[in-house]
Amino acid sequence: MKAKKFFGVLVVLIIAGLALAACQPAATPTQQPPVQQPTTPPEKPPAEQPTTPPQAGFEPMVYGVETCDNYNGIIKEIAALDELTVRFTLCVPDPAFESKAAFTAFAIQPKEWIEAAMENRQILEKPIGTGPYVLDSWKRGDSIIFKRFNDYWGEKAKTETLVFRWASEGAARLLELQSGTVDGIDNPSPDDFQVIRNDPNLRLIEREALNIFYLGMTNTFEPFDKVEVRQAVAMGIDRQRIVDNFYPAGSSVATHFTPCSIPNGCVGEDWYEFNPEKARELLAKAGFPNGFQTKIYYRDVFRGYLPEPGLVATDIQAQLKQNLNIDAEIVVMESGAFIDESTSGRLNGFYLLGWGADYPHITNFLDFHFGRANPQFGKPFPEIYELLEQGARIADPEEATPIYEQANNKIKELVPMVPIAHGGSGVAYRADVVGGHASPLGNEYFAVMDPGGRSTFVWMQNAEPISLYCGDETDGESLRACEQVLESLLGYEIGGTEVKPALATECTPNQDLTVYTCKLRPNVKFHDGSPFDANDVVMSWVVAWDYKHPLHIGNTGAFEYFSYLWGLMNAPAEE
Amino acid sequence: MVTDLKVNQIKQKDYRSNSLWRLTLRRIFRQRSAIFGMALLGFLILIAIFAEVIAPYDPIQPLIGIENVSKREGPCIHLFGCPKDRPQHIMGIDGNVRDQFSRVLYGSRYSLYVGFTTVSFAILVGTLLGAISGYFGGWWDNIIMRLMDVLMAFPSLLLAITIVSVLGPGLQNALLAIAIVAIPVYARVVRASVLSVKEQAYVAASLALGGSHFHILLRRILPNAIPPLIVQGTLGIGTAILDAAALSFLGLGAQPPTPEWGTMLGTERNQVFTAPHLVFFPGAAIMITVLAFNLLGDGLRDAIDPRLTHQK
Repeated sequence: MKAKKFFGVLVVLIIAGLALAACQPAATPTQQPPVQQPTTPPEKPPAEQPTTPPQAGFEPMVYGVETCDNYNGIIKEIAALDELTVRFTLCVPDPAFESKAAFTAFAIQPKEWIEAAMENRQILEKPIGTGPYVLDSWKRGDSIIFKRFNDYWGEKAKTETLVFRWASEGAARLLELQSGTVDGIDNPSPDDFQVIRNDPNLRLIEREALNIFYLGMTNTFEPFDKVEVRQAVAMGIDRQRIVDNFYPAGSSVATHFTPCSIPNGCVGEDWYEFNPEKARELLAKAGFPNGFQTKIYYRDVFRGYLPEPGLVATDIQAQLKQNLNIDAEIVVMESGAFIDESTSGRLNGFYLLGWGADYPHITNFLDFHFGRANPQFGKPFPEIYELLEQGARIADPEEATPIYEQANNKIKELVPMVPIAHGGSGVAYRADVVGGHASPLGNEYFAVMDPGGRSTFVWMQNAEPISLYCGDETDGESLRACEQVLESLLGYEIGGTEVKPALATECTPNQDLTVYTCKLRPNVKFHDGSPFDANDVVMSWVVAWDYKHPLHIGNTGAFEYFSYLWGLMNAPAEE
Repeated sequence: MVTDLKVNQIKQKDYRSNSLWRLTLRRIFRQRSAIFGMALLGFLILIAIFAEVIAPYDPIQPLIGIENVSKREGPCIHLFGCPKDRPQHIMGIDGNVRDQFSRVLYGSRYSLYVGFTTVSFAILVGTLLGAISGYFGGWWDNIIMRLMDVLMAFPSLLLAITIVSVLGPGLQNALLAIAIVAIPVYARVVRASVLSVKEQAYVAASLALGGSHFHILLRRILPNAIPPLIVQGTLGIGTAILDAAALSFLGLGAQPPTPEWGTMLGTERNQVFTAPHLVFFPGAAIMITVLAFNLLGDGLRDAIDPRLTHQK
């Protein structure tokens, strides 16, 4: 009887095991094709291309709006003049065109690949670019592996393989670096800086503070609608104390919203001195002699501009209580929700947010935050954005200085937010890594790094990229991964902010900065072997630009950077 | 007269020496672990009451600009060779430049408060539900106990996290969540006692004498459920403190700058290697407190549980 039962159970187990085993192989083959597929369609174009002679088969693409009236965008037309020339016609003069065009969000992918892979979202996981590395595989939740691209037009990558890994905890990243399983890590905790400096096997490179951390307020909520309240907060917080205690060396107290190393960044008056008595007076004048109750929102995410979010929030809470008798409750939010709520101006208290430079131009800081359409500080201030719109049209920084002086003074007077610090951060490498650097824009370029002769370079950053279609990503962790694979018309110098040629050998403006003509680099090949031409540039830009384009899909479909830097065509009226 | 009084006294003494409570107390004092737990607990309660007197600093006041100390500085104890001109900080300085020792001391208040309030609430509600379902039986029993079964089917911390996520983070909501999660245990204990007692002859007698349900339940039946409840409750306090610390660690319980041990652990968890004192001391405090309750609870069970009485 017992034996019967036992065998019965055994039979059931075996059947269950067989069923499982039968399911498994069935699951793997179905997964494999999508991995292989990306390599098949790319192989088709090179087969087709040779049959049609390049000169004869080239039909230049032209794409544009008819008129600049009733259109908030900057670009009027993008036209491929011939195979290696693209002309950008703008509605308004844009002195920052080259800085912006160098940004990774405007990287070029083959026209055929965009057409083939956008709709089925393959492009999110499998970008095809011209960069020094080719994407090999992406194990979600674990790592991304890149291989050297042997047909790269420039200097080939030093290592055969590049691996991206991630860990959100600073301590965990450092531990991996110390144990030698990774060659470089991003953003070690400020407290670990000294540990790394003292370790002969490691090398710390400080990243220039090209960012801003600010205390945001939304002026559509009481009591932040009163300018006196905002000014009181500006004077009632000892910012030096925050920087001294919670920021690593290389950080500085913000005198202006924009860091000083950016032209015109800190012209005009310096920010208010810490003055609690005056602040209390102002608060009393605004009708809050005994302070008020509010909240401090933040997300618990390490950023170069805010290395210790929890501690800074607690310190600001203590300072508000002590200096202004404001009772602030601390609320930690999930990162995505926090960004959504804060940037759309729905937080009814203070919020801790910052900004890292995407491209080194003052418009990247001021125009984004204080522009006409940004609701993150509540109702935008015309006093500020009118000046900014004026300034953005002047190419020569010196000529624009008086305007930015006024704009900075207005920001100080109206206090949409309180700029607190430009946070220094760092990158740490193993000591034998040659060519290690820290980029102020956060786009470290691994092709030039040689990890002591090893064939694989392993990089560990804070988080996993969201997708590798960076036209529709804004997150630095995604952009950095894209930068290894994809290239834009122009690029930034390695470890710096100067704009240098990349896929375009030069982009020359006309007299009044409304037409830029870009000469493309000849004989550049994409990772799939297809040649790079002007139509690829037009297509890459147009899918992001035209809201009604059938391939305007991306990841979320927001195309935030394109929308904010250039403006979208056919954008819905609400925006 | 004199002799009468003496007899009275003797009688009273005899009576007392036979009382359940006295017997139990004597048994408890025979348990070494229970005494140790009780002593530890007494010590903790004293710390909680006199935290203001013992703590050298304000637990939420950053010492920036007040003393020359830096963030996450290690402990400085004069007795162990720390220079006399440095301010003494027995447990070091935390990330916001506050005295860790004062924070740990004040933390005992929150932990004990959490432990006692959640368990009292859970016992109150649990007893009510258990008594109703045990005494009236039938549909009541079915509905209430199935509900309790559902509650018990969830891992307690997961359920607490869910409740807090719905209610929003904060110490009060965390308390409520932990209390709700703990209810089924007490409801079961009470129901079991009620079931075993309600068929006794004296209950029937009370019913025959015209006692109301309320009277019978409260005076005749429930007193029998008190000993197991005390044991379960004491052990439950330990669990409740741990749960509260876990919730706070995850950022769902006490919010900064509250000096709650779990919150302290959570905010400094990344500094395990660079500033171990910031996680060691709150962690040790949680451990000691929970240990005290567990030792006491175990001792109480050995002393009170009738099934274990004759084993020694």
